[in-house]
Amino acid sequence: MVSKRFILKRLLLLVPVLFGVASLVFAILHLAPGDPARLIVGQRAPPSQVEAVRESLGLNDPLYVQYGRFLVDAAQFEFGDSYQVSRGNPVSQVIKTRLPVTVELALYGQVIGIALGIPLGIVSAVKQDSLTDHVTRVGALTGISVPIYWSGPLLILLFSAYLGIFPAAGRIGSTIFLDDHWVLFGRELPLTGMVTVDTLLLGRPDAWFSAVQHLFLPAMTIGVYSMALISRMMRSSMLEVVRQDYMRTARAKGQGAKITVLKHGFRNAFIPVITVIGIQFGTLLGGAVLTETVFGIGGVGTTLVEAISDSDYPVVQGIVLTFALLFTLVNLGVDITYSYLDPRIQQ
Amino acid sequence: MSVESESTTATESRSFLDRLRNSPFLSELLSNRLALVGLAIIFGMLFVGLYARVTYDVSVLRSSRLGGAIADRAAPVWTGAADATGLFGTDASARDIYKRTLYGAWIALKFGSITVGVSTAAGVGLGIIAAYYGDVTDNVIMRTMDVLLAFPSLLLALALVAIFGAGLWKAVIALILVYTPRFARVVRGAALKVLEDEYVDATVAIGATDPRVLVRHVLPNTLAPITVQSTLNFGLAIIDIAALSFLGFGAQAGTPSWGLMLAKGVENGLQTGKWWMSFFPGLFLAITVLGFNLLGDGMRDALDPRMRDAVD
Repeated sequence: MVSKRFILKRLLLLVPVLFGVASLVFAILHLAPGDPARLIVGQRAPPSQVEAVRESLGLNDPLYVQYGRFLVDAAQFEFGDSYQVSRGNPVSQVIKTRLPVTVELALYGQVIGIALGIPLGIVSAVKQDSLTDHVTRVGALTGISVPIYWSGPLLILLFSAYLGIFPAAGRIGSTIFLDDHWVLFGRELPLTGMVTVDTLLLGRPDAWFSAVQHLFLPAMTIGVYSMALISRMMRSSMLEVVRQDYMRTARAKGQGAKITVLKHGFRNAFIPVITVIGIQFGTLLGGAVLTETVFGIGGVGTTLVEAISDSDYPVVQGIVLTFALLFTLVNLGVDITYSYLDPRIQQ
Repeated sequence: MSVESESTTATESRSFLDRLRNSPFLSELLSNRLALVGLAIIFGMLFVGLYARVTYDVSVLRSSRLGGAIADRAAPVWTGAADATGLFGTDASARDIYKRTLYGAWIALKFGSITVGVSTAAGVGLGIIAAYYGDVTDNVIMRTMDVLLAFPSLLLALALVAIFGAGLWKAVIALILVYTPRFARVVRGAALKVLEDEYVDATVAIGATDPRVLVRHVLPNTLAPITVQSTLNFGLAIIDIAALSFLGFGAQAGTPSWGLMLAKGVENGLQTGKWWMSFFPGLFLAITVLGFNLLGDGMRDALDPRMRDAVD
């Protein structure tokens, strides 16, 4: 059982952290070089026009007023309009359309990583010091040493440029067009923004196949890295558990080796691995910036890179805050799951 | 007088060597074959980097060779292609990828060392101070660290780069701010354990000043987890610096840094299958990082198993 007090305490601890995060994000706009008003109206606009924009954005108010306003707006997920990347559109709209793309990619990558990493880690630990173990360990170490922005291009070169099996960039075939809503019992419903889900909702197997094909290489790039990390953690955690007394007891009372490993070993060894998977998800969101850039996918990551290059500060602020919030929430979820699985943590 | 002091130093150095030889950590580490491979890779890359730094003229590596006798985007000479040039081929500006990749080792190790060195020092200082003074000091330091830890690392680096602007040195400063909290947290944990020991109380009781307690007693006992964390972080620092360069916020046009070379290789050679433009810088980068990870892993295993918890 997770006590309500534990969750409440964890939530209260979040308040100062989120406050600090928001302050840092506020600082981006005010510490970064360049006048936002000038960025909006362009280099050739007359000073009077710049001044008018400054006034309308509230940039002439005292800093503490601006800070207060920023906190209130941020709490409602309002960051103003984009200067450049999606000129004139509200930042919240930009994030809403592009975040599903990034989350979809991260999810598939993580699923591949978990599906491959956990069995590999268990086998490696159970057959410690065997050839399988050595190959898995060195392979995993190599996996975390290869940056995504190198493994991605290598996969593109092999599977796209030479073999021509998978497309190198984009999310779906350029000749495929999708409706912007789907219909259920005669009612028009909005799409999720995740292309592998939307194509199914629209009942378009051809488009779904194209989407999966496009997603395969980027998800694999993330998945291999994630697999390496998870298998390492699974192995070391499993090794620790295998030596416990209760494992010997289970075997002594006549239980088979496989059942002992899976029922007693895995359940206990998996707990620390959850932490890694959670933290890994945050890293994946950060890593999405790189994967999206390599594969030319228009998610939040590429949008952030574009916004930084174009000094589009509202977009930078919105995305950075969104990522930090997601990361914090995932970590909170991990903590609560962890304490549910291992109640000793709560003390 | 002078004879006496000389003999003291001799005994001290001998006892230091003996201690080193008898250290279970070192013998354990030296018996770990993979760790030795890692060490060999690091020294190899250091040699390559120094060789390139001393031998090559960096202005030649930086400036475009277009319009000369050498073809641009030419394949490596051993592929037997018609315009093949150089061991690793040439890039879109007809520059020799082999020389640039070798020079990249110097850049990676130089900026990696600075990033890891400064963030380790800052993290050690903050962590020890937080643990020793506790209370408000501890809270102010660690809550600030918590805020920085609330971002995925590359994302925080990007947010800081949005403030500082692009450039290798600015990327290094951003990453120092990203890594410092991790060191501070590890060091604080290790220092808190040391401070529980009675000998620290004894030292304070006989009148030792704060700096003396911190430097002579707390610091040496936190060195082991710090060293492991630094080694593992070194690989990460090299990857992250190159990542910022890859995204266009680190090394600027012409610099022979692996990250930037990879970005250009992806931009100019990926769709057309000119693999050598991105293959070699990436290979060197991955091997270097693998070296640090092998060594760091070996060090972690060689440490007291209980210490493993302190290092992620």
